[in-house]
Amino acid sequence: MKFRLFIFLFITILGGNLSISAQISPGDLSKSHAFLEGVSNCTKCHDLGNKVTREKCLDCHKEIKTGVDLKKGLHATGEFLSKDCFTCHNDHHGRNFKMLKFDKETFNHTNTGYELKGAHLKSDCKGCNCVLCHKPDHIKDPELRKKNSTYLGLNRECLLCHSDFHQGKMSPNCLNCHGFETFKKAEGFDHNGTKFPLNGKHKTVSCEKCHKPILINGQSEKRFDGLLFNSCINCHKDVHENKFGQDCKKCHTEESFHIIKETGNFNHDNTNFKLIGRHQTLDCKKCHKLNLTAKIKSDRCSDCHVDYHQNEFNKNGQTPDCDQCHNNNDFAETLYSIEKHNLSKFQLEGAHLATPCIACHKKQERWCFIIPGSSCIDCHANNHKGLIQEKYYANEKCTECHTVNSWKSPEFEHSRTNFKLQGAHKRVTCKECHYRKGENGSMIQKFEGLSMDCVTCHRNTHEGQFDINGRTDCLRCHGLDDWKQIIFDHNLARFKLEGAHIKVKCEKCHKEATNETIKYTVYKNNKLLCSDCHR
Amino acid sequence: MTQTVHRIYISVYVLLVITAFLGLGYYGFSFYNLPIEERFFSPDYALLKPSGLLGHGLGIIGSLLIVIGVFSYMARKRLKFFSRWGVLKYWLEFHIFLCALGPVLILFHTSFKFGGIVSVSFWSLVAVVASGVAGRFIYLQIPRTIEGRELSLHEVEEIKDQLVIAFKDKYNIDISDLNSENTIAIESEIKARNLSRNEYKKVKQLIKSQRKLVKRIERLDFMQNIFKYWHVAHLPFALIMLIVMIIHVIVVLTMGYKWIF
Repeated sequence: MKFRLFIFLFITILGGNLSISAQISPGDLSKSHAFLEGVSNCTKCHDLGNKVTREKCLDCHKEIKTGVDLKKGLHATGEFLSKDCFTCHNDHHGRNFKMLKFDKETFNHTNTGYELKGAHLKSDCKGCNCVLCHKPDHIKDPELRKKNSTYLGLNRECLLCHSDFHQGKMSPNCLNCHGFETFKKAEGFDHNGTKFPLNGKHKTVSCEKCHKPILINGQSEKRFDGLLFNSCINCHKDVHENKFGQDCKKCHTEESFHIIKETGNFNHDNTNFKLIGRHQTLDCKKCHKLNLTAKIKSDRCSDCHVDYHQNEFNKNGQTPDCDQCHNNNDFAETLYSIEKHNLSKFQLEGAHLATPCIACHKKQERWCFIIPGSSCIDCHANNHKGLIQEKYYANEKCTECHTVNSWKSPEFEHSRTNFKLQGAHKRVTCKECHYRKGENGSMIQKFEGLSMDCVTCHRNTHEGQFDINGRTDCLRCHGLDDWKQIIFDHNLARFKLEGAHIKVKCEKCHKEATNETIKYTVYKNNKLLCSDCHR
Repeated sequence: MTQTVHRIYISVYVLLVITAFLGLGYYGFSFYNLPIEERFFSPDYALLKPSGLLGHGLGIIGSLLIVIGVFSYMARKRLKFFSRWGVLKYWLEFHIFLCALGPVLILFHTSFKFGGIVSVSFWSLVAVVASGVAGRFIYLQIPRTIEGRELSLHEVEEIKDQLVIAFKDKYNIDISDLNSENTIAIESEIKARNLSRNEYKKVKQLIKSQRKLVKRIERLDFMQNIFKYWHVAHLPFALIMLIVMIIHVIVVLTMGYKWIF
């Protein structure tokens, strides 16, 4: 009996010791709770008579409590807010038990308050690779960071996970500009929300055009801040070199640099080409055919104007510009003065000075300034062609007789001919001797073969009364200086005047007669006898 | 109670225990087969976990069965008040039934998770059950009255002698010294007498009983000694189990796990 009692007591005490030393725990706690092993720690999690309450859990898990209080994170949303923690995070299932186990494929991340969208949903992000985001490097809180594989500690700040592409130069809230699908397209960015709304062509310009890359912390980065945009020339080159000021919008629109506002503000005189004369009234498109801003050459008139003269002024390969002769008012006007003309091979003198240009230079439809020669007949018709012997005007040189002052007063050394001009002949015009009216009323000139008989030019009013061998020598009676100067000596005639005859008027003896239609005085009346006159 | 009825209800007992074991095992196999670390995530966890609706219920019911089984048998055996309540043998069988079914339910209550103080209780339970099974074997080796009282060697010898005389009278065969060598010869001799089938069966049964009796007489002293030690093992483990169980229940209740209540 004693032995039995001993054995009983031994086992009882052994059992008792076991029961005291052994845990009353239903199983080992997981690694993260392992420090709570031991009877004395039960009530740290268990609320006596009330299992395990949220409050007990949250007393320790202050980071969760903070989230719940702030209504942030998975534990502060929907069903989780009213759930006991242990329904998801159980324990006493062994040291290797993972308290945090959920189906990554079906886990609805939206419940965390952060919906996974766009690239976050891609296969390399969703489910199987939570640690791409949920890793210590992305956790700010130093205490949370120490925790192994926690899903806490992240917030909506993109830069927690993503490197700051903009190197701190932009808002840390990437979503202001970027979407979830791709970072490269700033889908959410509305440039019109900035101080520089994009209009016109600015809408289609690539970002880099204005936001040129700069080196920030050794990294090439588009510059988005600190850009000057109060003036167009902050980005655009002032092709006008400040001639029109710096307010490009006065003339240009954002639709296109080449579209010019028709506001009348533009002062063309500020360009290299001042509008003068007719240019002022021209439609812009006359010169700016492509557009108003396309650069056009304006160094020479011929850059715009067709060379009417068809390069006829070309000299040694150089063509003088129009403004050498023309002004801006009209092509009809010319700056080509007589003085300039006189610098040419053909100096204007005499009547040429009063001759309109057209007379020489527009003989046909168009103006022509290239005149093959400089002799008169290059311009003037030779009226005497074939009519005057060449010896008197070799090479049809008009100046042998004419001067540039007038055609009408030729000066010919008539003594070169056989007919020296004397007396009244010196005073008569050439025409009077060399021009005759033809039958049809036209003037007929005759220089060559012209007889030197007076009657060639003068009408013999004596009806051949004084012909000697068919020729009447007027100078026998008439003076050269004056026709009326009679040098006739009646005493040398057959009837000498003597006596009373000297005082008798001629008509008394020399009566008029009519030969057909011509009246003439009959000088050879053959009245030699007294009775012929006197009764 | 006839032997047949006895066999039936013993069979019912066994069947119930086996059915409970197999049924629960089949129902919860997918859960119990999981590693400890994985069970929480099983859909059956809420039902079959030790504090689950079914798991906790199994614990409570199993514990009650054991408590009832232990204390009813103890009361019947030790309290004078209950000494006339039925045959002790049947109480023992009932005790064995409850204390076999109870541990089966407790086993599933633990969900085969043995650790901490509960493991002490559980392994004590295992020890108690194992010792019970052993005790049952030893118990059978010690001849008893129908009430279960142990027979002395003298009383057993007397029974044996009566059997030998009866056999001698009826068949004129001496079975006083039955052993493994002469048993076969005796059986052949009886067979040669052309007994009826029932008669022959009875004779064989008698021989079998006589043979058992001879064996038990041979090791009665030994078994009686073992039985003394068996009590030392069975009872303390039962007590440890009960004490730890009580601690376990107190702890569980303190922590607020009240099953359906």
